Order: sequence, then C-alpha cells, then structure tokens
Amino acid sequence: MRGNAWKFSGILDVDWEICSYLLVRQLADKGPVTEEMLGEHCLVNVDPDFPKKVRKGDFVVAGPNMGYGHDHDHASMALKGAGVAAVLCENSAPYFLRNSIDHGLPVIELPGIMAAVDTGDDLEVDLRAGKVVNHSRPGHELTFTPLPDFLLDVLDAGGIYPMLKPRYEGSAGR
Amino acid sequence: MGQTIIEKILARASGRATVAPGDYLEVTTSCPTVMAPHSAMDKGAGLITEWNAKIYDPTKVMLVDGHLGATASHGAAEKRKALREWAATVGVPEENMWDLGRSGIENMVAVEQVWALPGECYFQGVNGHISTAGALGSFASALSFGTAAYLLRGVNWVKVPQTIKLVVTGEPRADCTPRDVSEYVLGQLGPSGAVGAILEWTGPYIDALDMEGRFAICSQALFTGAWTAIMNPDDTTMRWVGERIDTSGLEPQTSDQDADFAAVLHFDVDGLTPRIVPPPQRHEIHDLKDYLGIKINRGFIGSDANGWLRDMNHAARVLKGNTIAHHVILNITPGTPRVLKGAVASGAFTTFLESECVVPTPNEGMEWGANTPLTDGDVCIASAQTNYPGRMGGKTSQIFLANPAVVAASCIAGEIVDPYEYFEGK
Repeated sequence: MRGNAWKFSGILDVDWEICSYLLVRQLADKGPVTEEMLGEHCLVNVDPDFPKKVRKGDFVVAGPNMGYGHDHDHASMALKGAGVAAVLCENSAPYFLRNSIDHGLPVIELPGIMAAVDTGDDLEVDLRAGKVVNHSRPGHELTFTPLPDFLLDVLDAGGIYPMLKPRYEGSAGR
Repeated sequence: MGQTIIEKILARASGRATVAPGDYLEVTTSCPTVMAPHSAMDKGAGLITEWNAKIYDPTKVMLVDGHLGATASHGAAEKRKALREWAATVGVPEENMWDLGRSGIENMVAVEQVWALPGECYFQGVNGHISTAGALGSFASALSFGTAAYLLRGVNWVKVPQTIKLVVTGEPRADCTPRDVSEYVLGQLGPSGAVGAILEWTGPYIDALDMEGRFAICSQALFTGAWTAIMNPDDTTMRWVGERIDTSGLEPQTSDQDADFAAVLHFDVDGLTPRIVPPPQRHEIHDLKDYLGIKINRGFIGSDANGWLRDMNHAARVLKGNTIAHHVILNITPGTPRVLKGAVASGAFTTFLESECVVPTPNEGMEWGANTPLTDGDVCIASAQTNYPGRMGGKTSQIFLANPAVVAASCIAGEIVDPYEYFEGK
C-alpha cells in the first residue's frame, strides 16, 4: 500500500472527532447508513476539509488511544468511506481496532509513528512484512509485529463478513 | 510466576494450561450473548437471515431492549419489529425476549440475571460498558460489529491483554458515589493510561463495597482506553450470584499474589469530593468546586454508572422535602425493573414524584436522547456516561457529568452546586 500521510494529534473520540454520533443517528432515521455517507463527515470536527483533501489509499496517522471512547463502529466506516487505506497509530482503543479489522480497515499500532511522519509524507506500508517506509525521509523505515495470519486474512477479504459469507451461506437450510 | 485472574479465565476458555499477554487465542464460553434492538441489525445480524445461515446456538441469544424504552424516536417501532422477526427466523426462543416492562439497561440486566459467570468469558453484542460484568469475576467484552461473526462461529478471538492492578484505599466524602472514585482514577491515569489493558480493581475500598457500587466502577473502564475491568470474586460476589443462580459447577478465578501485573497503582480516595466532567472532553476530570454556579435547565440521573438502587436512594436523600426549580426538568431513569421496584419499596420513588421529577420506564433513556432529549442551548447536569456534543440531542447543548447527589442538588438550585449540605452531620 502506498499513499500520503494525514497526521492528527490529541485524543480522537469515535463519537466526536472521527465522526459525530448525533450525525449517524440523524442519518439512520432516514435509511441505511453507508461508509460513503459517513466518509463525507470523517474527521471534520478536527479538519473541516479532510474529506475533500484525502485521496483514496492515503493513511491516517494518530497518537495514543486512537478511536477513544465507545465501541461504536461507525468511526471505522467513516474512515473507510473517506478512502483511508490504513490507520497507523501509537496505540489503539481495543474496540476501535477490532471493529476496524472486522470492517476491513487495517489499524497498525506502531510506537514512534508520530515522530517519524508528517502530514503529506509519502508512505509505503507492508502489512505482512510489518514495515513502514517513509519515502519523504530517505532511509527512514519503521518495523512492527504483523497481525497474525487469521486477521490478515480478514483484511484481505475486505472484512469479517465477506470472509465468512462463502463458509456460512445457506447453512441453515431454511 | 503466578497468573492474573484474566489470564486464568482466558486459559480455561481456550483449553490451555497457561497464557501470557500478547498471545492470540480462540476462546469459547457457556454464557449467553445479549443483543439489543436499537443496534443488532447494524452489527451483522441481518446478514445471518439474508444468507440463510445457521447460528451456533439460538438458545444462547438474549434480546434485551436497554436503549429504546418507551421512546417514539430512534426508529424504535421498526427496530423492535425487525429484531423480533429475525429472532423467529433464526430460532431464538420467545422466553429469551426481554422487551419493555421486563427489560432494562443491557449490562445491568446481564449482571442481575448473572448471565456473566464468574470464571468465564462473557461476550455481549452491544455496549462497551459491559465491563460492568467484570465485577462478577468475568472477562466481559462487547462484540460490536463482530456480533454476527460470533453467533455464526460460537468462537471469539482475543489477544491476551496486560493487567494493571489498581489498589484503592480510603473513604470518600458521604456525597460521593463509587462513580466519583472511578472518575478520580480515570483523571489520574489519563485517557491513554491503560490502553488495551485490563483494570483489576482491588483494595480495602473495593472489598467494602456492595455489588451495585462495584458494577458502577467497572462500567467506566473504556474511558481510560482499557479494554475492560475485573474484580476478584469474594463473599460479597458469591452472595449476589448465589441469590440468583445455582452456583454448583462454577469455577471462579482469582489473581495469584505473584502474578505478573504490567503495573500496580495505589490510589487513596480518603475524603474525596465529588468529581465533575465538563463538556466536551470525556477524559478531563475536575473537582466539582471549580464549576459551581453554572446555570442548568436539565438534569438526568441514570445509566449503568448511576442507575442503580443505591443511586436512587442517594438522589432521594437530597430531593426529600424539596422541589426542583420550575425551569428545570429532572429525568430520573432507574436502570432496571429491579431498581424501580427497590425505589418504590425504599420510598425514593415517592420522593421523586413529590419533588416533581419525571421517572421514565427503566432503560438507558436520556443517556442517548431517547427521552426528554436536549436541544440547542440546553445545559444538562447528568450522571450519564458520556458528554460529547449531541449525545442527548442538540448540537450546541452542553452536558456536565456528575453523581446523582450533585445532579439532584443542582436541579433544586437551578445551577451547579455542592450537595454536601444534604449529607453533613446526618
């Protein structure tokens, strides 16, 4: 994966900074809520122009406790809908990490990432090798312990449900 | 090297002799899974019927309405109907439906029914505040978007977390609730002080606490970035359990003295005064005295932090003989029917009516704006869990979080006040 970095400091709550929960509820009153709908509002409470500026395949770089707060999964949908290819963070709130992987969005916990990357940097991320190369800072490379194979398989499938569908479809015989 | 309670539970649940932080495991449990109509269909449940797929055990699914209550908003009628139809299709028995009149906040019903068993994992479809059930000595976690995946497979994955041991001593001021202790510790840890870890609450303060207070403390774990919270079962725990279910066959676990904790942190809460969390950041915890005099027009007492019977009685102590200010609406929502019945028996319910409060049906209710919602410009003092903009409705409304005594006293005064006069020397 290769794309540009968008760096955010401070606590990013799933229900406010990443994507307003009130907005999700208001959208849900009108019908099904999609990743694309939420992507238009991703991180606007921190950077109002982010959804317009971010390009498909870019990375969000964040500090400690990325995805703070509730276990609400709409934040993962918003990031994915905005086109974010992966989240690289100092560490992640556990529910945000699980929900993101289940939605097919990689979240990589990588201490030191905030110091190693600036907004606009050209990053190359290899999930299976556990490697981040910052092409904007020649010679700058970070390594991390890759996720186990069973979670990489979920990401490859595009999420937990695309992975499970062929295995379980029709199993009830109803 | 000994093991922590969490490591022992996860070893049992994965069929291993021992486990260590960082291990990835596949785990199972005999505990049921709670789903709730307000969110279930968004968490993959709809795919199960769409795919004509079989779930691992329909009798292990409990459907509990802890969020919609008697609201007319939030798509309540349609969501309730959709989940009932889903349940009938996948074969969930009728007696597993916990709907209005029988239901309450999911986490509170789960511990009142002891669906979360000491010594086992407990996976709930909804609500990260299910850390509440850690007070029973369970490893309690929400499944969230992975709910349907768990229902299909009957297996969940965990990465064994580190355990941070908290040792709490001292006695807070009489107008505090266990929530204030939890907020104080959060303030000391900071929002990133325990990311991904388990908070193991111990110490003389915890030992002396009743189960309701222990549940309330455990309910707030995620605000520290922790995954969940746990307490070591003792006589108090097993009395609560034994009054509700057959305890034969249970295997409660406790941490070894020489277990490998990531940190052991001591907190002295002696003389602690009420905490307040001003909007909009959940993790900025302050002393109440720094926010006195702020005008409010709405109040809320409830949620799994303060919707317990002990909280109803705590609020009634302030409200007795007083009425709230005429420009204020104070919503007091008992967490479950058990709590409401207890408030009727203790006289707290009558006090609420005489004080001109509104008492909706047991539920989350106002916590997420499902009844008496806020609108732009409203200022609310609430014993809720969260205060981010729009949580109770109204983008520019403000929510200050504090304990029920603070809420009640502030609603009488029409501004944020210190409730200690209602407790001093009494």
